[in-house]
Amino acid sequence: MKRIYTVILAAAALFAGCEEFQPVFTGKYPDPQEQQIYTDEDFGRFTPIADVKQMYVDNGNKPYDITKHCVIKGQIVTSDQTGNVYKSFYIQDETGGIEIKIGKNGLYNDYKLGQWVYVDCTDLTVGSYEGMIQIGYKDETGEYETAYFEHSAIIDNHVFKGRMATEEELVKPVTIAGNEVYNEKYLGTLVTIEGCKYANLVFLIGYIDPNIVKESDKKSNENRFFLDDEDGTNWGITSWALSESLFKEHVDNGDFDNVVMNDGVTVGERKHLIKPQPYTMNQYFEMPGLTGVRRYLQVRSSGYAKWSDVNIPKPVLEGRETVSFTGILTKFESDMQFTLIDLGGVRKADGSPWYDENNKEL
Amino acid sequence: MIKKLLLTIAAVLCATALFAQKSEWGGVKGTVVNRAGRAPIAGAVMTFSQSGETVAAVTSDAEGKFLVEGLENGIYDMTIKAPGFLDANVNVTVEGYVKDLIFVGMIVEQVVTEVDDSNFAEFDMDDSGFEDSPSILFDSNDPFTNIASFGFSNIRFKNRGYTSESQDVYLSGIRMNDAITGYSPFSLWSGLNEATRAKETTVGNEVSDYGFGGYNGVTNIHAMPSTVRTGWRFSALTNSALYRLRLMATYASGELDNGWSYAVNVSARVGGNDWVKGVYYRNFAYYAGVEKKFGDIHKVGLVTFAAPGQRGAQNASTQEVYDMMGDNMYNSNWGYQNGKVRNARVRKTFEPVTILKYTATPSDNLEASATLLWRTGKNGYTALDWYDAPDPRPDYYRNLPSYYWMDDPDYGRQNGEKAAWAQYAWEENIPEYAHLNWDRLYNVNWNSIDANGDSRSKYVIEERRVDQNDINVGANVKWNASRAFTLTGGFNYKWNRTEYYKKLDDLLGGDYYMNIDQFAERDFATNQAMVQNDLEYYLANGTAQVLHRGDKYGYDYYANVRKAELWANGALDLGAFKANLALQAGYETFWREGLVRKGLFPGLNDDGTEFIVDGKSLTTYETVNGELVPISSKGKSAVSDFFTYSAKLGLQYHIAGGHRIYANGGYFNDAPTFAQSFISPRTRNSLVPNLETMKTVSADLNYQYSNNGYNVRVTGYYTKIMDQTDMMSFYDDSQNSFTNFAMSGIDQRHMGIELGFKVPLPVQGLSVEGALSWGEYIYTSTPRMTQTIDNSAEVIVDNQPVPYWASHPIYKKYTDGFGDVTYETDADGNYVVEKNQKHYVPSTPQLAADLGFNYRTNSYWFFEIDAQYFANSYLDMNPLYRTDLAVNGPDGIFTPVEVEYMAAQEKFDPVFLLNLSVGKSWYIDRKYNFGFSLNLQNITNNKWVKTGGYEQTRLIDSESAERYYRFDSKYFYMQGINYMLNLYFRF
Repeated sequence: MKRIYTVILAAAALFAGCEEFQPVFTGKYPDPQEQQIYTDEDFGRFTPIADVKQMYVDNGNKPYDITKHCVIKGQIVTSDQTGNVYKSFYIQDETGGIEIKIGKNGLYNDYKLGQWVYVDCTDLTVGSYEGMIQIGYKDETGEYETAYFEHSAIIDNHVFKGRMATEEELVKPVTIAGNEVYNEKYLGTLVTIEGCKYANLVFLIGYIDPNIVKESDKKSNENRFFLDDEDGTNWGITSWALSESLFKEHVDNGDFDNVVMNDGVTVGERKHLIKPQPYTMNQYFEMPGLTGVRRYLQVRSSGYAKWSDVNIPKPVLEGRETVSFTGILTKFESDMQFTLIDLGGVRKADGSPWYDENNKEL
Repeated sequence: MIKKLLLTIAAVLCATALFAQKSEWGGVKGTVVNRAGRAPIAGAVMTFSQSGETVAAVTSDAEGKFLVEGLENGIYDMTIKAPGFLDANVNVTVEGYVKDLIFVGMIVEQVVTEVDDSNFAEFDMDDSGFEDSPSILFDSNDPFTNIASFGFSNIRFKNRGYTSESQDVYLSGIRMNDAITGYSPFSLWSGLNEATRAKETTVGNEVSDYGFGGYNGVTNIHAMPSTVRTGWRFSALTNSALYRLRLMATYASGELDNGWSYAVNVSARVGGNDWVKGVYYRNFAYYAGVEKKFGDIHKVGLVTFAAPGQRGAQNASTQEVYDMMGDNMYNSNWGYQNGKVRNARVRKTFEPVTILKYTATPSDNLEASATLLWRTGKNGYTALDWYDAPDPRPDYYRNLPSYYWMDDPDYGRQNGEKAAWAQYAWEENIPEYAHLNWDRLYNVNWNSIDANGDSRSKYVIEERRVDQNDINVGANVKWNASRAFTLTGGFNYKWNRTEYYKKLDDLLGGDYYMNIDQFAERDFATNQAMVQNDLEYYLANGTAQVLHRGDKYGYDYYANVRKAELWANGALDLGAFKANLALQAGYETFWREGLVRKGLFPGLNDDGTEFIVDGKSLTTYETVNGELVPISSKGKSAVSDFFTYSAKLGLQYHIAGGHRIYANGGYFNDAPTFAQSFISPRTRNSLVPNLETMKTVSADLNYQYSNNGYNVRVTGYYTKIMDQTDMMSFYDDSQNSFTNFAMSGIDQRHMGIELGFKVPLPVQGLSVEGALSWGEYIYTSTPRMTQTIDNSAEVIVDNQPVPYWASHPIYKKYTDGFGDVTYETDADGNYVVEKNQKHYVPSTPQLAADLGFNYRTNSYWFFEIDAQYFANSYLDMNPLYRTDLAVNGPDGIFTPVEVEYMAAQEKFDPVFLLNLSVGKSWYIDRKYNFGFSLNLQNITNNKWVKTGGYEQTRLIDSESAERYYRFDSKYFYMQGINYMLNLYFRF
């Protein structure tokens, strides 16, 4: 009998000694580590954003692959939380602002509005999209001047999180007016433009079938239609952008029936073929102190923004009141555009908001 | 000793010759003993048969003694069976007197085949749309099943290619297959190997005493305390495949003089394994039962058991991931949390089963029993859930090099540098990229501070709960009307209400989560009502529900199933010839009952008006039988009901000397399961269109030889299964929603041969054993497919054929000197078809073979070596790749290249495996028995054996816009070399 007990005890000791037994056994896990917060000391010298933008200009307005040591210290001035800024954020220092093309959704979870970041631009590319200079990854396909980083390993080796900015450090929007809007130094920065009046014009590129894979077929005269400023109307679109369901509502209402496509056929005739999708579009506003086409500020909003279907305030639509916009100044070719971060950037002449935090008109 | 025995036998023979003329009747007596130590064995059953026909049977008493009289003179085949001992076989000649065999020795059964569902890793298929439910065969005296039950488990062998649902498993006479899915619920009693060891099994179309059964056998687990092996038993088991340690203790009283019997079985299975990180067990199990016999007629038993605990699951990945990790056992479900391994997918269960059974034996030829069985408790499966944040899964396709670089420029993936970064992250095995990054998830939650200073979790762990309440009543009768005719029959009623819901399991450092449908929010962000998981809460409170740990959220509904069945089997026994005819009729009904109103599918108000919020109607409609019907998430769905009927016929003929030829056939008409019948039970009451019963025709022809230690069975079978439906549901990030594929009209044909044998060799104690299963399991119809998404009422694909499901054409082609391939066309310009490539029923080898040698010594050593070969295993297909849409591409133009690429089914490589077992047991004081068995699987350490997987139901656009490409398939692999060491001690 004794022998048996000895054997059993020996066996039990053997089992208990096995190492795989431990790591997953308890079901109780230790507290995770807090993320690393970088400081200026980790990097030393910084390159101003304006200098980085200049690299593109100095390269003959062609994409420039940065090979030398180049670290930007900037503060994040946008958030993709409401969906109008998408897959990227803008950072700003005393010399300017620039978009960092990260290429992931839900960036605001990791990179907060008002957080300092250090962007190590070494091995990155500075390029432009229709006049907006950006930092991204080299686009090997040559389709664009820069590409998104996309992979976490690239992001984590180039973008380093610093601490949150203090109240005093927070970037305050600069109020610009008149011809200042066309000053390139404000591009990509947080600005306020006051006294904007609704122009009753929109721009939107629509598709009968947006799912056509072949690009040339998708862009064909039979498939593509334009709502633009030459129409002299907003086609009944009173919202900042169009979600899929709101676009469908307009189509069903016949709002676009009289739009003539480039092959001479009206949208109304192809209505039964239309496959709705969300649309990014521009609502036009007139800026005070400017004339001609230069007076238009195109407020460009995404159909995926959580507030895409929110209407422009009625008094503004009717031209009775103006809007003071705060957001990022951008451009498309020669047109000035404006990117709202959220509807908190839409304010009345007296500086009070037009919308509450639930995007309800006040 | 042998000399003595020979002398005794010679003396007996002489005596027999002398007295042969005295009488035409005689008998046999003796004492059944353990060959080691001559300890008597009580309860051994001796069966005497001639020409395969049982003539008499007797059970040994407490001292191991038995006596049978009234046997006609002649030679009898006497088989001796006792639990825990190897079956023995002796030829006895009866010649006019009661022959005393003195001692009948039995050898202790040492190979402990530990087959229960813990022999199978739990594969996480939840987001794939596919199901993974390995079929488990039970050990029996059948030479094929005996080998296949444990020996084929590694490769996830499915008997005759049938699914788990087709395998009927009864517990104390109640059919236990899951009411909702039909799966055999082995996990309910896994870890209770001793308490559930006593079972009776039929093969194929055979009818059981406990139920009508289907075409894939019936197993009845007795589970009553009187059937648990008497005495104490302790065992400790360690293995490298699944968990580190299993400890088990059992005690059974046997039937005491006062008519009581009781039994207890407890076990614990804990720890990780050598192969798959993150897979672990923390499972316990208990069983307790009492039984009381009142006089000779009545017996009442009460049993309760459960296997509570948790286990980590394993996930499938693409070959690209496995190759970069250099490990086909890579599991994407886990990551380090401050240095400790944590798995996101954990199965948590506690489902107690209680059985009350009454048995009456009013006379020798009538036995009846009635059972009441209740299953309840909780079954949860955890998973990561996230809101408006990046996909945290490490092997998400955008994290892989192939997303950035494909050699073929038509993929439009030509970013070599990004691919190199991705490759670096994987190949360097950087934990935050190659595994779940728990630290980041916590940090995101900590930093997600709202206006009130509370942190709103963006990543949480949800627990998907399936809580069953299953009440069964069953009755069985067996009446031996005459020596030639036996009638068996029974009745079963099942009442099942299963609640499906999600529970917030872990906020991962945050303070709260919101009850919002984030997929709906992507499409309907501007309409707050539509994104609510609980619209009524939102309307009452003006805000979405704030969730804390333990709260229900997401979806919540009941699946209700009621099922009644009546069956009878008449068996005719005319000596050498036997026949039976069995009939079954049943009625099944089921419906869904939504417990919350979802913003996307609110249906109608109680007064029948549309659901209007903020002046906008949220009510959506679907077309059912040509009528527009509102789609509702709350309330009772339409009730489906099915009348089912089945019939079986069996014939058998015994030939003197232990030969038996028998055939069974059946026609079955089965209702679809609840799980196959709702297009999206998480969100709405909508049923799969055109639901109908599944019809099966099945027949088998068998030959068996059983004599003198030889045991051989050969079977040929043919089964055709028609009108099956299937439901697949998985998350599709291109649609930003769960996508549901409902398939109907799936036909399958299973045919093949099965061989099992055990043959003693001239060397004492040495035998050769083998099993072969060689079949062809194919799809034979063009099913139809309907695709919907959880996000809208829209039907994306409406009842379209899946033309390349059962096969696809291979075209005639030739390759020129430059390697260019040209497809041959006929005079009309049509491509010439060379052959049609069949598509096969997946995830099981269609050829499985095993050959082994078995050696047992008189000193209780045993050695076993066996070689196995598995081939013709195929990957599970998704229907999308077999549609015209996917094959023809965006341009709609059909080309042979596209057909052969898109519709093809992957065949796995064949594999050769070698396994070894060794064991020994010792007896001390003729009472205590101590032993071990060591089993080594896959000795050659093959690590490249695919056992299953699935195709991702996604298409990649091409640059040319002329064709589509497939997403890479995901695979499960077999583990390399494994050991299992079992030590036991009993008395």
